[in-house]
Amino acid sequence: MMRTIEVLIVIIIITGAFIVASFFAVLPWPRQVSPVNLRRLAFTTLQMLDSNYELSRAAFETENYTIWGGLQVALSASLPPNVIYNLTVYEVTGKTTQLYTFIDSISNAESLGATSDASSYMVASSNVTFSVIPEKIGEHGGGGGTLYILNCSDANSWWITGYTAHSLAQDLNNLLSPYFHETVMVQSTTELATILDGNPLQGETLQSAVVINTCGEAVPIPSGYYSSPGVGYDSARNSYARYSYVLGQRVLQYNWTWVSIVGYPLYYVSNTGLFPTSQNTWGIYGMRDVGAPGLNAFLRGLDNQSYSYDSSWLTGSPGVVSLSTEALDSSNYYGVYPSPYQTSTRALPTSILGTYHLDVTTYVFNTVGNLIPAAVYRHSGTGGIYQGAFYSIGLTRTPDIRLTALGLLADYRPRLYRSEYTANGTSRLVVLQLGLVGGV
Amino acid sequence: MVSSTVDHMIAITVFLAATLLFIGLFNQTIQTAVIYQRHRATATKASDLLDNMLLNPGIPVTWGQDNCTPTGFGLQDPEFTQYKLSPFSLMRLRSSTGTPVYYPKTGLTYSNISMGFGNYMLMPYTEAINYSLASILLGINNTYGFQLTLTPLITVSVTENQAKSPLRLSVNVAGTGFPLAHAYVSYCFITVSLAGGGGSFPAYTVRYGSVYTDEQGSASVEFADVTDENLGYAFIAYARLSGLTGVGFRQRASAMDQHVIPFVDDLSENRVLIAHSYDVHYIGPPVAELKYNATFVILTEDFTLREVPLENSTGKVGSVNYGEGKPYGVVTLPTDNPGILIITYRKSATQGGVVMMPWGLSSLAFPVTFGGDPSQQEWVATDIRQVTVGGIAYQANIALWSLEGYQVVG
Repeated sequence: MMRTIEVLIVIIIITGAFIVASFFAVLPWPRQVSPVNLRRLAFTTLQMLDSNYELSRAAFETENYTIWGGLQVALSASLPPNVIYNLTVYEVTGKTTQLYTFIDSISNAESLGATSDASSYMVASSNVTFSVIPEKIGEHGGGGGTLYILNCSDANSWWITGYTAHSLAQDLNNLLSPYFHETVMVQSTTELATILDGNPLQGETLQSAVVINTCGEAVPIPSGYYSSPGVGYDSARNSYARYSYVLGQRVLQYNWTWVSIVGYPLYYVSNTGLFPTSQNTWGIYGMRDVGAPGLNAFLRGLDNQSYSYDSSWLTGSPGVVSLSTEALDSSNYYGVYPSPYQTSTRALPTSILGTYHLDVTTYVFNTVGNLIPAAVYRHSGTGGIYQGAFYSIGLTRTPDIRLTALGLLADYRPRLYRSEYTANGTSRLVVLQLGLVGGV
Repeated sequence: MVSSTVDHMIAITVFLAATLLFIGLFNQTIQTAVIYQRHRATATKASDLLDNMLLNPGIPVTWGQDNCTPTGFGLQDPEFTQYKLSPFSLMRLRSSTGTPVYYPKTGLTYSNISMGFGNYMLMPYTEAINYSLASILLGINNTYGFQLTLTPLITVSVTENQAKSPLRLSVNVAGTGFPLAHAYVSYCFITVSLAGGGGSFPAYTVRYGSVYTDEQGSASVEFADVTDENLGYAFIAYARLSGLTGVGFRQRASAMDQHVIPFVDDLSENRVLIAHSYDVHYIGPPVAELKYNATFVILTEDFTLREVPLENSTGKVGSVNYGEGKPYGVVTLPTDNPGILIITYRKSATQGGVVMMPWGLSSLAFPVTFGGDPSQQEWVATDIRQVTVGGIAYQANIALWSLEGYQVVG
């Protein structure tokens, strides 16, 4: 009888556990599962309304009821019926402690419902012309001038938690494209194979380009030649570390600067078509685990050493690190302001400098002991001439993409030619907040 | 001893039954979580893919106006940044809703984005980009299916309130369920003149004007000199308010059973074929010959319509007939800019009309649907963006669904 009672007690406990689990495992609303991207909708609406500078005009003529009436009608006409809005205009002063001063606002509802999001848009007065002309990288010698952003639709990402490779690519494009002659989005692994073969995609200069991998710790791998045995695949070790070796060789051959935006560089390879049933041991399919041999092989390729499978772990974890003086100066100069304190868990050791003939040309974070949290390494080739570079940001997730831009700008130092940039009362900030009503 | 054994057996049985029951219950919760993650990933992918298509011009960047097959898919206008799309790249998308048209004289099938009688956009399959190629170029082949829809944000509808003396047209301008009050409307009015002997080509007169809509988004336009209710005409109106621009049109023909049909022939050469409708629709009875006279209008930067005259050498006038041995007409457009090809035609001294074709999809605010069919899919994520195409406000809508199983795809 006792055993039956014990079993009943166990059943009561499991039932309790199930009820508690069910209480927390509440099914989300459909709008949470597949939300309308209100932020993007707001931003594109503002862009469309300003396509002929009419929003700019309205923002500076808030007393003109005809223009504001028209703006209100245009907003109501352009947004879906279940979307309500609040549009607010702020003056950008900069003379007092309060940077933005409220000017005017229009809305078609008292509150913005259960779900809302906002986008801001800076407009300029027609009375002033702002002019900031950046120098293009490579303009005064040194070659290059092309920025490749790996935005491969058929590759998955890891350790960019909260972002997608595509959104990071767009942000990088906005931040860095003014400083390069040409910015090329590499949209698929097939296009990546094309540039690895030495063929430009749009007639751009391939030599001395900067290549940013937005997939985090994963790197896109083309199917075919670059994943074949003896080229990208090490059959003896059942590993794609060999692909990282080829990447290192290409970086050396084309004098590229390869950028790893977060975590342990080249830790996974990804191609959703090539690895449809493989996952990275964390449930992300379309990916293969390479591990520490990936980075070791890359560095050997960069130093033109022969390939060997080396599984020794390179990075250390110095914890909280601070921006270097050089990076802080560049932060002010280029107007890019990431937090000066970050957490590093994948910092590279100083020992790689001697082993692979690397020089640090820019420290983005101060070193901690023998660990370098983030820096631009240039490979010292024949006659001490730099050939090939590697920018590794060994911070923990989630990545701040501004650090990628900051490190590159700090290293290349393109100049800014400014005029009228301190004029007051010539900019206004328009914030469009959208909310959803009705439905679930 | 016996009672202990019975107790043991009951306990084991109840325990195993309860364990199986709870495994089932917990499994349901886990399945729900997995499906939620999968759907969430699809929704994120939908947003990313939409931006991917709208924020890059493709490779090569001029693929919309070349005859080449792109190696990268993107719809952004290469001359602009942000969400401004190329009206020519959109022309090259193979419509997934319009019934394809076969034209025996070229032996080609055409993608059909037409908007009823007299408003045609027929692009040969050989130049149109199909769904499967776009999927491959986007890197989602066999992973996701999608449907991209571009619809004009502003509806400009033109109705005829009185047929003659005067001809009275009503222009109604509205957004998504909201009228555009006090919108500026600029219009172009083209009338067809069929006067002359049997062998003469039709003539046309073009005039321009502008009005403002009232509180209800309506405006009325009168033409006192139109005294014949059979007079063929085309009326094109552009409405504009606070950065939003929309297009509407209407035409009248006295010969609708037999007319001319324009086909895109060569995008890079700006060449258009003009066919006899009987060769395409076989709606009879056939009439021996149709004479035509073509012109081209563009939307200028101050949002007024202006005629770009065609030279005689471009094939602006000609005649077409049905049947074998009767060639189609060819017109070469004089500009690479978007505009509207307007073709007046004459069937007899009393019957004729006018047909139009947008050169660049936005010129007549044609909508386009491209991609697969989402109606039979288990879960479809959607997202929208506001875009401009050739200055016209559109809404881009994507529907995306996964083609894979239940595994979690990151």
